[in-house]
Amino acid sequence: MDKLAELSEALLQLDGEGAARLIGESLEAGIPAARILSEGLSSGMRKVGEQFREGVIYMPEVLVACDIYYSGLEKLRPLIQPGENRQARGRMILGTIHGDIHTVGKDVAVPVFEAAGYDVIDLGVDVADEKIVEAIREHRPDLVGLGTYMTSTFMHTRETVKAIEAAGLRGQVKIICGGPSVDAGAAKRMGADDASDDAWEAVGKLDRLMDELKAQGRTV
Amino acid sequence: MSEVVDRWVERLKGKLPPIGTMTHWERMAAAFDLKPMDMPAVAPELDYWQITYAGYSHQEIYNDADKCTDACIRTWADLRTDAIWMYIDISHQIENFIPAEARPKYFVHRGSKDYLLFKPLAKTLDEAIALYENRTFEKYLGDSRAVTHYHPHMLQLLEFQEKMDRVVPVIVGAASPSNYAETIVEVQQFVRWTITQPRKLKHYLDLALEERLKALDYYADAAYGNGCRFFGLFGGARTWGPRQLREFGYADQKYVEKAAKIFPYLFWHICGHNLPEAMQDLTCWPLKAVQYDMPYYSQKLSYREWFESVARLFAGKRCAMNAPTTQLACHGTPGEVRAMVRDFVDATTPHTTAVVMPGCEIDAFTPVENVKAMIEAARERRL
Repeated sequence: MDKLAELSEALLQLDGEGAARLIGESLEAGIPAARILSEGLSSGMRKVGEQFREGVIYMPEVLVACDIYYSGLEKLRPLIQPGENRQARGRMILGTIHGDIHTVGKDVAVPVFEAAGYDVIDLGVDVADEKIVEAIREHRPDLVGLGTYMTSTFMHTRETVKAIEAAGLRGQVKIICGGPSVDAGAAKRMGADDASDDAWEAVGKLDRLMDELKAQGRTV
Repeated sequence: MSEVVDRWVERLKGKLPPIGTMTHWERMAAAFDLKPMDMPAVAPELDYWQITYAGYSHQEIYNDADKCTDACIRTWADLRTDAIWMYIDISHQIENFIPAEARPKYFVHRGSKDYLLFKPLAKTLDEAIALYENRTFEKYLGDSRAVTHYHPHMLQLLEFQEKMDRVVPVIVGAASPSNYAETIVEVQQFVRWTITQPRKLKHYLDLALEERLKALDYYADAAYGNGCRFFGLFGGARTWGPRQLREFGYADQKYVEKAAKIFPYLFWHICGHNLPEAMQDLTCWPLKAVQYDMPYYSQKLSYREWFESVARLFAGKRCAMNAPTTQLACHGTPGEVRAMVRDFVDATTPHTTAVVMPGCEIDAFTPVENVKAMIEAARERRL
């Protein structure tokens, strides 16, 4: 097994120390950081997703795998040269909607989306509508992810969408809600474009929203 | 003696038209005892929905037990569900871990209709353990809302139950050790530590269990002693896997075993995506009923198939309580709500008894017509 396959496997086995060692060894062997990320860590995250959806592993294992991914990413990101970086599928800002401080969904979604090729800017939790508007202006994302853990905070989607509309930015972005209480039909009725309660399923939805943006000639 | 209770008793006692051939209490008891019923019971966890339904805001009832009790009884008088759920919020659960002056920074009132939000009390496992080892929860109990709000509100509702001659049961609920242990540190931290620090976590969970077992003595005295018979245990462990259930499930099991010796009608609340192994465990614990929720991610089942699979698992052992999902209740149409209630009852009653009760509390934003549709759909069925 080559180093990157071993790294991918270490993440799946929740072996944080092994993953850190393999990242170091891969860098020493001259493997570019971007390749270590895509063929090692991201590949591992995709396998984590497959096993989660098949019921082989569960949320605790997923969270620890995400921590290992983040820790590796922290090490690799500064080493990735601008030209070496993969062509991102799209840029996304993502945060837990105002009034909600739960991080569990976001902590899983960010690495899953990054592993799927999206550049994700994490705005944190309890994110005010003004902050989301400001982040759209600053980062010019294709996608806005609104995390909600509770049914009541999912209902805040309408206000957030209205704030984006009032700022004249709604036409520039697609908005997707995520979390255990979301419902795609209700999200659309509140002005968002889609919703998903499963980070891996959401990747397919992000891809579809990106296709729609491209068809409209609106990608960054 | 409570004025608000007496006012309602005077207005309602002996004046309510019967629904079916059983009283609300008899219907719930029959469901829990797996005995024949005239119609499926319906007892949604109205919790804070009933506060706004009755015309109050959350801020208004936050420190006012009379208004809180008034809201619960007013809602019941209108809707005639088969049980009255007392109002509970997170401050009742954890305020006694926090000194009075620090409480405002841990609780966030998000609006007149929104649930109270809280911030975790400990960032590390050591901090969480210290909260228990230093007996922090005893130090700040006296002036906490557990004492100043929860306790009088519970007593008022039980007084109403008794003065109405037990025509309708009041459901009192308490969080389990895993629920407490997760709440104090935030659930995502707790589940991480099940893998990264399992031995220390077990010590922490043991401390939470010890406190919870002691709390049951309070419930035996204040709740059972004042007429409470239907008691709900709010489980945590909603994001655990089978390994976590095997290694840490003992704490909740011990809690259930003690509670079952106190309350004849004991049920477990398990919301979220229910792990099949967790549902299996619940058939072995001494419970009468289970308020369950959605199928686990990896189970590719329609809701109807899910209801039927649980009913088969519970056959001869447990009453099944579900439907519609709290999400559908909030976002769906009355027609969709009715359809899910019918699916639940039709899939469940060939195998065991059914109580129409969404897997978690009804959200405050849920339209009134959806709650009414849920109740009507249950009332239309005859068994």
